[in-house]
Amino acid sequence: MNLDQAQRDRYREFSDFVNDNVTPYAGDWDLHQQMPRDVIRAIGREGYFGAIVPEALGGKAWDFVTFGLLNEAFGRGSSSLTVLFTVQNMVATCLLKWASAKQVAKWIPPMAKGDIVASFALTEPNVGSDIQSIGTQFESHGDMLVLNGTKRWITFAGIADIYLVFGKLNGRPIACVVEKDMPGVEVTPIRDMLGFKACHLAQLDFHDVQIPAANVIGKAGFALSHIAPLGLHYGRLSTAFSSVGLIRAAMETSIKRASTRVVSHATLNNISSIRAVITEMGISYDTSLMMCLNAATAEDNRSLQAIEKTILAKYVASRNAVSAASQAVVISGAHGCHEESSPTARFYRDAKIMEIIEGTTQVLQNVLGNYYVNRAEPLVLN
Amino acid sequence: METLADFDVKTSVRKFITKSIGIGDIRDDEDLFDSGIVNSLFSIQLVTFIEKSFGLEITQDDLDMDNFKSVDAVCNFVRRKQGK
Repeated sequence: MNLDQAQRDRYREFSDFVNDNVTPYAGDWDLHQQMPRDVIRAIGREGYFGAIVPEALGGKAWDFVTFGLLNEAFGRGSSSLTVLFTVQNMVATCLLKWASAKQVAKWIPPMAKGDIVASFALTEPNVGSDIQSIGTQFESHGDMLVLNGTKRWITFAGIADIYLVFGKLNGRPIACVVEKDMPGVEVTPIRDMLGFKACHLAQLDFHDVQIPAANVIGKAGFALSHIAPLGLHYGRLSTAFSSVGLIRAAMETSIKRASTRVVSHATLNNISSIRAVITEMGISYDTSLMMCLNAATAEDNRSLQAIEKTILAKYVASRNAVSAASQAVVISGAHGCHEESSPTARFYRDAKIMEIIEGTTQVLQNVLGNYYVNRAEPLVLN
Repeated sequence: METLADFDVKTSVRKFITKSIGIGDIRDDEDLFDSGIVNSLFSIQLVTFIEKSFGLEITQDDLDMDNFKSVDAVCNFVRRKQGK
């Protein structure tokens, strides 16, 4: 797929930023399980958090292909950092589509600048993919809502300023913006995850949190049918491209290792089986990238198939990332298993998370099953 | 009385919905959400379909199940938004 000159220029700009500000530090962030505010501020200064935000709201108004390239470039450097683009844009897309003009004006411009970090608070201790079963409760008291419940595994909630919280009001699903400083909000960091270690995962406990009813996004009854699925869709697009970036990082690391490591007077890349593995990585990268660009182009064209194409891209790219990262560890040998000697161990751990977030491989398989069956049925009937 | 334009809207809406859910024999007044035949992605695809096909923008003010629940409901909603 051909990129236009502006897209190529921006991709080069993103890659330069990542080479200077991300890749050299990603290992340390992972080791210390934290993301410095400095790098978030630096990204904010570049305007990258506002990639798909309209210019009138302080954004760049880039197309989704460019947004994807941004995620690919950052995904090559740090999965933990790239998932900040994921969640920030999951919240932003929900607000841009379903919030009032007043709500948009309040929250989107500072989000686009990176002055505030937003988390997508949907998952609960006992509720993951089956979002209709969430138990978080809102009660109405005049022009205020009272919130009680627990959200867990919430990406960047440890440092977020606002959370888009999904719950139920009299049995009807609602989404509501909750601010971190509201009394009754308790944030508990979750450490020592397998991967994405620097993404400030946290548990959010809400104890009688009083929230202005004006913070409700959309209308009661639509949060789990129209708002959450929209955020998850853009989250999958971001994750898919981030996975492609991870594949590239695994491939580049492997090629570098194979071309410098000498075994029996020859470098590793002269061994046919090693070349075959690198070939597989290259094919994984190319096919995943093509599927991601296909999905992003569908989104730019507002194609009715954009959702399924994005699911397909996320499904393929995340699985390929697991495979490529696994092979990269093997090519790097013991060196690749040591956190301070090689980034491949981090790639391997992060890749597995790609398969889980925004719909596990198995959940996406079910959705794709329906997609293909529905497509095939008319052919069968005819 | 149903005009040709109304007929086109209904044909288009019906085609999209039956293709999305993979079921051809639904009644025009059948509640798609109550009957549980739509999947979790249908709602946002329906929004995109209406916006793109009829040049409309759906906002939070339009979030009412009576606008989306059946073929008839979608057609009536489109006509109202078009000012007909």
